[in-house]
Amino acid sequence: MMQKKVCMLGGFAVGKTSLIRRFVTNVFSEGYHTTIGVTVEKKIVKVDHQELMLVLWDLYGEDEFQHVRESYLRGSSGYILVIDGTRKATLDTARVLQQTVVRTLGPLPFVAIVNKSDLRSEWEIDQPVIEQLQEEGWPVFFGSAKLGQGVDELFARLAAMLLSPAPPSRTSL
Amino acid sequence: MATDPHRHRQHSQPSEGRISVDEDWAQLRTLLLAPEQTQLDELRDRLDNRSVEPREISRVLPEAFAIRGEGDQQMSTALTPYVENGFIATVRKSPQTIVDAIAPIMGPAIRQAITRALQSMTEAFNHSLDEGLSFRGFQWRLEAWRTGRPFAEVVLLHRLRYRVDQVFLIHRETGLLLHHIAAEGVVVQDQHVLSGMLTAIQHYVQDSFGASQDQTLNQFQVGEWTVWVEQGSRAYLAGVIRGTPPASLRERFRDVLDRIHAEQAESLVSFEGDAASFQAVQPHLEDCLQAHYEAPPSRSALKVWVLGGAVLLACFWWGWTAYQTHTRWSQFLTQLKTEPGIVVTNAHSTWSGYYLEGLRDPLAKDPSVMIQEGGIDPSMVSSHWSPFYALEPQLIASRARSMLQPPGTVQLQVKGDTLVATGSASIEWIKEARRLAVLVPGIVHYRDEGLVSVSVPDLLDRVNRAVIRFGPGSASIAPSDRLEVHAIADTLKDLEQAVSQSDQRVRVDILGWADQTGPAALNLNLSRQRAEAVLAILGTEYPRILTTVRIGTGTERMVTFRASLEAHPKEPEPARP
Repeated sequence: MMQKKVCMLGGFAVGKTSLIRRFVTNVFSEGYHTTIGVTVEKKIVKVDHQELMLVLWDLYGEDEFQHVRESYLRGSSGYILVIDGTRKATLDTARVLQQTVVRTLGPLPFVAIVNKSDLRSEWEIDQPVIEQLQEEGWPVFFGSAKLGQGVDELFARLAAMLLSPAPPSRTSL
Repeated sequence: MATDPHRHRQHSQPSEGRISVDEDWAQLRTLLLAPEQTQLDELRDRLDNRSVEPREISRVLPEAFAIRGEGDQQMSTALTPYVENGFIATVRKSPQTIVDAIAPIMGPAIRQAITRALQSMTEAFNHSLDEGLSFRGFQWRLEAWRTGRPFAEVVLLHRLRYRVDQVFLIHRETGLLLHHIAAEGVVVQDQHVLSGMLTAIQHYVQDSFGASQDQTLNQFQVGEWTVWVEQGSRAYLAGVIRGTPPASLRERFRDVLDRIHAEQAESLVSFEGDAASFQAVQPHLEDCLQAHYEAPPSRSALKVWVLGGAVLLACFWWGWTAYQTHTRWSQFLTQLKTEPGIVVTNAHSTWSGYYLEGLRDPLAKDPSVMIQEGGIDPSMVSSHWSPFYALEPQLIASRARSMLQPPGTVQLQVKGDTLVATGSASIEWIKEARRLAVLVPGIVHYRDEGLVSVSVPDLLDRVNRAVIRFGPGSASIAPSDRLEVHAIADTLKDLEQAVSQSDQRVRVDILGWADQTGPAALNLNLSRQRAEAVLAILGTEYPRILTTVRIGTGTERMVTFRASLEAHPKEPEPARP
């Protein structure tokens, strides 16, 4: 089976771990987040009858994003950016993180998910901003850790991008 | 440029002169351009008929597959279902073909697997056998019972010096798992996730200490497990080891990793996530699955000698004891057989000791006393004796003495079947002896010519004439006078014997005397003490003799006797209701 390393990136408490926890093979406790800053998990997705194993490196989110260990990013085939819809600052964090990845690894397939869609009324990120992101080439999804929505689509899209021979999405620096 | 010669010929028919020219021209053209014309015709046919020829495709198909496969995995994806279906159909239709095809591979693989399983089983059996009866083995049995694990497994774990439980081959850059193997019975977590975490930990340590790319985490320890990491340029090898591995194992890891890098160089460079090609490294990783167990404790030669010596000593001691016991038994039997009044009819040894059976005269020596005297444990001897009358002279004499109860002044001797009595005795005893003697078993005749009869008055007179003298102020009897007192005692016994059959008894007053020296009270007391001292020797155990102590008055330091007959008081009749 084909395997790909994928990093989960996002600011502090955006809900990365909560979003994927119920969809992945969970072996290690979350305690590793605060010790070595990462937990590795696994998810198998099917794209056009072909199975793909995503080995997810769930990086500890912090607002001091410049402290993201670049060594953890190395070898990634793609990445997932997680944004908290109720905190606009997390979008800025995601932008910087995306630029960090591009600077470190070059352009790679990625998807973004705006979490907490169950609290839509409290969102600080409005539709024009999201459209702006999409225009910049960001595949944006909406999800809810609480309701368990949006995750399968997110992984399916990223898996398709990873298996596609086409060049990665247009990214902006 | 080329035109059809036939068509050209039709347009030339009106003029015969021209026909000849045209024919010549055509002939000339045929001669000059025939090969090119043929090629042109073939090309036209191909253009007119565009259907693909299988023969042509067959020429380019392998190359086409190779070129298409280089780009991506779509060719494999597209062909996989057809290959699978074809394989399934072949297995169903002609399984023997498949068997023949894979037999060369499967045979050695199966043999190897069986050999390993048998080796493992034999090793476990040997260890179980070695430890089965030891104290440590007993402790391990308890542990096996407590944990629910097989005893052999518990033994192996305790005997374990080291064992490589798992080996991971991991792509260095991505942390993705290339291949993984585990020892039999090892519980494996998700090896893909574990590979990622192992890589993350290495990155973490490198970043934390600011180490360069060359400075890597080579080893870490968790409880009883050690994780060895051997770094290569494209991949690294991680071995999870239980126990304490030797340094030589690290070299083996290094060799294996080098071989993998050499054999899989292209796959490692172009690795994009498909680890299928790394299946081939399985034998290399199996080389790393080493295990070493503690050898069973060898019993030292000294222990064997000590044990052997102890056994030898025990055997010697047992033999010596048995010999001594047997000797004592033989001596005892010899003595028993010569003992008067005892006839041994059966004597043999049993598993617990000895058995004795025979006849024993009641007056013969007690065999149990002889057993003790012979140094034999009485508990080892079981005996059964039947009573009988022995006719040995000494036993007949004993029996006669027992029956006749002669006084001390009479000697009895057995001469053949005759009992001979000598000495002196009362008339009454002499008469009684004559009546009873012939009733003694073994006695046919009785002779008492040598026996002098003594009457009761003579005996009384003998007592009355006796005097025991004392020193001044003393109540103790001198040794020479003691003999006299004992003679009086014998006389009293004769008297007892003499009056035993009559209705009389003897009264003996023992009179203590003292001289007039000193106070009278002291003398009276001394007199009493002297009489009592004599009485103490005479004793009072005579049913027909009444002894009393009296005090005499005079000037001599002595004790005298006053013996007389008196009527024996009748015993009071039981009271009637």
